[in-house]
Amino acid sequence: MRIFKLLSLLLGYPDEAVQQAAPEIAALVRDEPALPRETAARLAALATRIATDGLLDTQEAYVALFDQTRSLSLYLFEHVHGESRDRGQAMVDLRTLYEANGLEMEPGELPDYLPLFLEFLGMTAVAEARDLLADIRPIAESLAQRLAKRRSDYAAVLDAVLALAPVAVRTAGSVAPEDELAGHDHVWAEEPVRFTAAPAGESP
Amino acid sequence: MSHFLDRLTFFRRKPEPFANGHGITTTEDRGWEEAYRARWQHDKIVRSTHGVNCTGSCSWKIYVKGGIVTWETQQTDYPRTRPDMPNHEPRGCQRGASYSWYLYSGNRLKHPMVRGRLIRAWRAARKTLAPVAAWASIMEDEATRRAIHKVRGKGGFVRVPWDEANEIIASANAYTIRKYGPDRVFGFSPIPAMSMVSYASGSRYLSLLGGVSLSFYDWYCDLPPASPQTWGEQTDVPESADWFNSSYIIVWGSNVPQTRTPDAHFFTESRYRGTRSIVVSPDYSEAAKFADLWLHPKQGTDAALGLALGHVVLREFHVDNPDPYFTDYCRRYSDMPFLVRLVKQGDHYYIPDRLLRACDIAGGLGETNNPEWKTLAFDEASGRIVAPHGTLGFRWGEGGRWNLEEKAGDGSSVRLALSVAGTADGVEEVAFPYFGGKGHAHVAGTEHPEILPRRLPVRRLAGAEGEIVVATVFDLLAANYGVDRGFGGANVASSYDDDVPYTPAWQERITGVPRDHVIEVARGFAANAAKTHGKSMVILGAGLNHWYHMDMSYRAIINLLVLCGCVGQSGGGWSHYVGQEKLRPQTGWLPLAFALDWTRPPRQMNGTSFFYTHTDQWRYETLEVGELLSPTAPEGDWSGAMIDYNLRAERLGWLPSAPQLRANPLDLAAAAEAAGQAPADYIADRLVVGELEFASQDPDHPDNWPRNLFVWRSNLLGASGKGHEYFLKHLLGTAHGVQGKDLGASGQGAKPSDVVWHEAAPEGKLDLLVTLDFRMSTTALHSDIVLPTATWYEKNDLNTSDMHPFIHPLSAAVDPAWEARSDWVIYKELAKTFSRIAPEVLGRERDVVLTPMMHDAPGELAQPLGVRDWTRGEGRPVPGLTMPQVSVVERDYANVYTAFTSLGPLLDKHGNGGKGLTWNTSAEIELLGKLNGTVREGPASGRPRIDSDIDAAETIMSLAPETNGEVAVKAWQALGQQTGRKHAHLASAREDEKIRYRDIQAQPRKIISSPTWSGVESEHVSYNAGYTNVHELIPWRTLTGRQQLYQDHLWMRAFGEGLCVWRPPIDTRSVTPMIEARKAGGGKDVVLNFITPHQKWGIHSTYTDNLIMLTLNRGGPVVWISETDAKTAGIVDNDWIEAYNANGALVARAVVSQRVPQGMTMMYHAQDKTVNTPGSRLTGQRGGIHNSVTRTVLKPTHMIGGYGQLAYGFNYYGTVGSNRDEFVIIRKLDQVDWLDHPAAALAQEAV
Repeated sequence: MRIFKLLSLLLGYPDEAVQQAAPEIAALVRDEPALPRETAARLAALATRIATDGLLDTQEAYVALFDQTRSLSLYLFEHVHGESRDRGQAMVDLRTLYEANGLEMEPGELPDYLPLFLEFLGMTAVAEARDLLADIRPIAESLAQRLAKRRSDYAAVLDAVLALAPVAVRTAGSVAPEDELAGHDHVWAEEPVRFTAAPAGESP
Repeated sequence: MSHFLDRLTFFRRKPEPFANGHGITTTEDRGWEEAYRARWQHDKIVRSTHGVNCTGSCSWKIYVKGGIVTWETQQTDYPRTRPDMPNHEPRGCQRGASYSWYLYSGNRLKHPMVRGRLIRAWRAARKTLAPVAAWASIMEDEATRRAIHKVRGKGGFVRVPWDEANEIIASANAYTIRKYGPDRVFGFSPIPAMSMVSYASGSRYLSLLGGVSLSFYDWYCDLPPASPQTWGEQTDVPESADWFNSSYIIVWGSNVPQTRTPDAHFFTESRYRGTRSIVVSPDYSEAAKFADLWLHPKQGTDAALGLALGHVVLREFHVDNPDPYFTDYCRRYSDMPFLVRLVKQGDHYYIPDRLLRACDIAGGLGETNNPEWKTLAFDEASGRIVAPHGTLGFRWGEGGRWNLEEKAGDGSSVRLALSVAGTADGVEEVAFPYFGGKGHAHVAGTEHPEILPRRLPVRRLAGAEGEIVVATVFDLLAANYGVDRGFGGANVASSYDDDVPYTPAWQERITGVPRDHVIEVARGFAANAAKTHGKSMVILGAGLNHWYHMDMSYRAIINLLVLCGCVGQSGGGWSHYVGQEKLRPQTGWLPLAFALDWTRPPRQMNGTSFFYTHTDQWRYETLEVGELLSPTAPEGDWSGAMIDYNLRAERLGWLPSAPQLRANPLDLAAAAEAAGQAPADYIADRLVVGELEFASQDPDHPDNWPRNLFVWRSNLLGASGKGHEYFLKHLLGTAHGVQGKDLGASGQGAKPSDVVWHEAAPEGKLDLLVTLDFRMSTTALHSDIVLPTATWYEKNDLNTSDMHPFIHPLSAAVDPAWEARSDWVIYKELAKTFSRIAPEVLGRERDVVLTPMMHDAPGELAQPLGVRDWTRGEGRPVPGLTMPQVSVVERDYANVYTAFTSLGPLLDKHGNGGKGLTWNTSAEIELLGKLNGTVREGPASGRPRIDSDIDAAETIMSLAPETNGEVAVKAWQALGQQTGRKHAHLASAREDEKIRYRDIQAQPRKIISSPTWSGVESEHVSYNAGYTNVHELIPWRTLTGRQQLYQDHLWMRAFGEGLCVWRPPIDTRSVTPMIEARKAGGGKDVVLNFITPHQKWGIHSTYTDNLIMLTLNRGGPVVWISETDAKTAGIVDNDWIEAYNANGALVARAVVSQRVPQGMTMMYHAQDKTVNTPGSRLTGQRGGIHNSVTRTVLKPTHMIGGYGQLAYGFNYYGTVGSNRDEFVIIRKLDQVDWLDHPAAALAQEAV
């Protein structure tokens, strides 16, 4: 499906080529039948902004958003495996999937980079693409929420991904909620071990 | 897929046997095994290691599958040790084991990035201008320049192509060189041993430009100045395996299991062998549990404890019952028998002066070569005064007598007298300074007088210029320790219970350690050393070395070791493990790293003085020199501020200068020519009349600012930058948290007298800050340009340590991810870009380079008998004698790339060498030509190529004696020329061995013994420092050629450190100016001594932003405080707290622990402010780091130069960045502000 390629372009680094293509992208997404009208319109607005805003402003914002904000990382396994060793194997599996589909990766990106993954989906059969999308649905959901919370127009891309994905029947792993600093301590605090009854005045 | 449908519950299949019933076939599904198989499947295993700043130097297996690093495990193939000794492995730690995460981490730097404001200005300028002109147009428009600098640390990066980033950097370099001079381009990168090719890549680029490499070991305060003072050696220590050979170990201010994790097993194993283990640490550290006896002196009082230990040893093993081994050792291997002149001060007493020299005696005892550098002693048998072999005067200008044979200069055998007690001409009262009477708000003093006269035996000699009164160092030393030897008089003790400096009873009041423990440890340590001939060891570390008066703690311990004959003996000695990484193939690396194959000398600057000066910490200096001065200081002008002393040291050629002069060094040669003078004379003349001046005389003048700074392999701003907030304010010119006022505004303290004071301090001296890193560190965050570099699994490099004797590699398991490049490629490409654009403003230039008088070179003989300061009218400046040496270096700026990638011709001309030795190396150059290939055309035609990082590694290993047996033999022969002894047997067994890069990828290789180091690699003994001095009779590279316990330089005597004394921590006065802020804060708080040890969750093999490590601790910055102090301030465990003083503020969580003694707080070193750090209420800035509350203070004795072992060497001697005497106020932070709003508002306002 062409829409995946368009989403991939919109979510990738906004370089000069993307900026030049952006008006065309805007036109194409506006008419995309697979998307809800509202989502399509927001995508078109994003593309239009990329087309019209100063390139360096767009890039600065992009770097701040995606390169330097861990919770918005566009690397899928960052959200699933984080720093764990399983991440290496997961990436190997993904790469194997691409190879099984007759695609070799250009050097310079990791297999779990979302724009790369979207480009791949654009080249697979619709049914298979939807199955794979279902796998990443929980990640897309949390990214969409986090972007929405920041009032970023990039949320449209993730909303589009969600619109294309079937409702998840299984999850690809748990996704930690974005740090809510207020409740952070509470979530992580361990119950102190007590060998006697709690002293008076302290809650047990 | 579930397997329950395939699995039979009630049946089993009838097996069908084959192979005569030995095999059966079953059909159950074995698919589940696949998961396990896949878990450990890999395409290849590559050997690499981790190099934050780790001495562990552990070899790891990196597993690669499908081009992706999947995990790592420890290598277990180190060559075995010999029978009866444990092996080195397992080596590795939990920090290193978590490293593979970094490659794909969200924190990884993926693309070259430039701050938006800079790239906008650049692209606009480049539309019409050539590169250098474009840079000039930006920097010369002050508004644009400030606008760019003001947002440092505030984000706003965009990705840029490599070529564009390189062009900006190269243009900045070229512009700076043309406009201000190459000595305004700086680079900071620490600890080459951890990845020496990566270090060399940047320093080679800088050196070819004429740029400046900044030293780090001294700046980190890991350099123990006591080591160069005593041994003329930067640092040399036993390998960790030698701990096993010890039978009495004191671990002092070092946390072995935590910070030397892969080596700690030798400590455990030695305890199984029966070794007694004493741990000295104020807190209940991880090491304390290894202790048979744990001593916990109050932090910062270790010298008092050490002196009391020495007192007991002197009393029992030297005075009352002299141990023959100890006596013989001290006679032969220490300066104790040497004679010190005593001069009268006032009417009542003498003070020790300099060591007696041959030139003091009429006729000079027949010594005509360097008689002023030949120290004297009495021969016990004949009673005559002699100039024994091996003193500094024998090292230069002659050969064959620089050795420790017991011979006089005339060749006759001698046996030096330790004391003149039996032959004295009388007993005189000699004054010793006592500093312990001065307390300050946080440190109590004792009520002893500041001058302690003590009686000791003296001899009177007929000198060339009248009578000379002398005493031996031993007699002075014993008196200094307050040991009563029956000469009468006051201030000596006959009982350990006397409260006299430095008895066990005296120290009890200062340290809190019971005197019985001191007596027990001293006896045990010495008795063991006496029985085993020196197998008593002290492992010591940052807990001592990071204090302002670290020299005193260190020298107290060194004295103890020398008195017990432990240095240079296997299983004994001084084991300083603080950031000391042994660059084993050093002499092979030096030509590569500093481009000595093309241009000499390189520009090198001592980091501490540089940062103190250019982050303007000197403007806030409240410590006055007078506070440090000894009450027995010789007459002289001791006025001036600390920065004035540093300026004097630069002018006298003691310390280096960069920026060097208030002139572009590229213009000076031509100016000299126009004046018809040699450059050296021209400069000396202009200095005298004031037409030229040192840049440091006016460091705040824009002419004298450092302009470009490269940081690589380092987190300068997030880890090592003492006075972090001053860096931000003055060097970078961005938002900062400095709270105090400078001397101009506060009116407190004296302003400098020689250094120019500007009422308004500069903000933003640096035009350009470039950081190469693979993670978004605090330094990268504040940089203008960030270049993504390869991680330790993505590049080829070399790694060595002092903890084990092997060399092994970092190897590229995978290509650098994203757009990252190895440091070698980054600088190589930068050199290429620079060579392309430089002709816009630069051609072939003559660069006038000033260098100080260097250690291990004849320059160390520059100033033998006193200090003659030409700036005070004491004679004319003579380059190389009383002012820096002046050299003219030809630079071909259009061919920097050509030179970078080939081995230049100067090695053919000068040979190679190090530490005062030189050997012909043409065979190795020829070998390298065959190994790496040669350059086909151009200015380097026919020269060996150094194109790849592996070529660079081969260059290092071919040139170094440690990795090329043929060179080792040559090097030992060269040393034999000086000593007149044969040493080549130490390497001859391995003469044919050449260790190559591919060899060490196959297995770590043990290096070959070389005279660069003072120990040997052998099948019979473990590596131990000083071994060849003791066993091969090679002199230490000091004034007496022996272990130098008496420091006779004028400044040493003036500051009371001729002998080791007790000096309490200094008063940094950083809490007092905060009274107003404290009042405003209202609530409860507590004032605590601020200690920054190394941690379990970061140092030394990974960083604290590693999520695994963060998860194991508290997930962000923490400080540790005691339960009592926590209660005082109303803090409970895990509370957010704010710690602040005049230097700035930091925010962290409190770890309230019984481990910590009352009165101190610990904040582990290098917790970046990039992770979970909220804002400070006081500064309004994000959190701060541990160095936000520190400010470094220089020490005059570290500035001495041109004087034997006290002569400058890069990372060898110089000022050090101490920071542990600092105090902070800690209070609970009621409201946590995460500053989660964009910096946009600020950005708008600033434009």
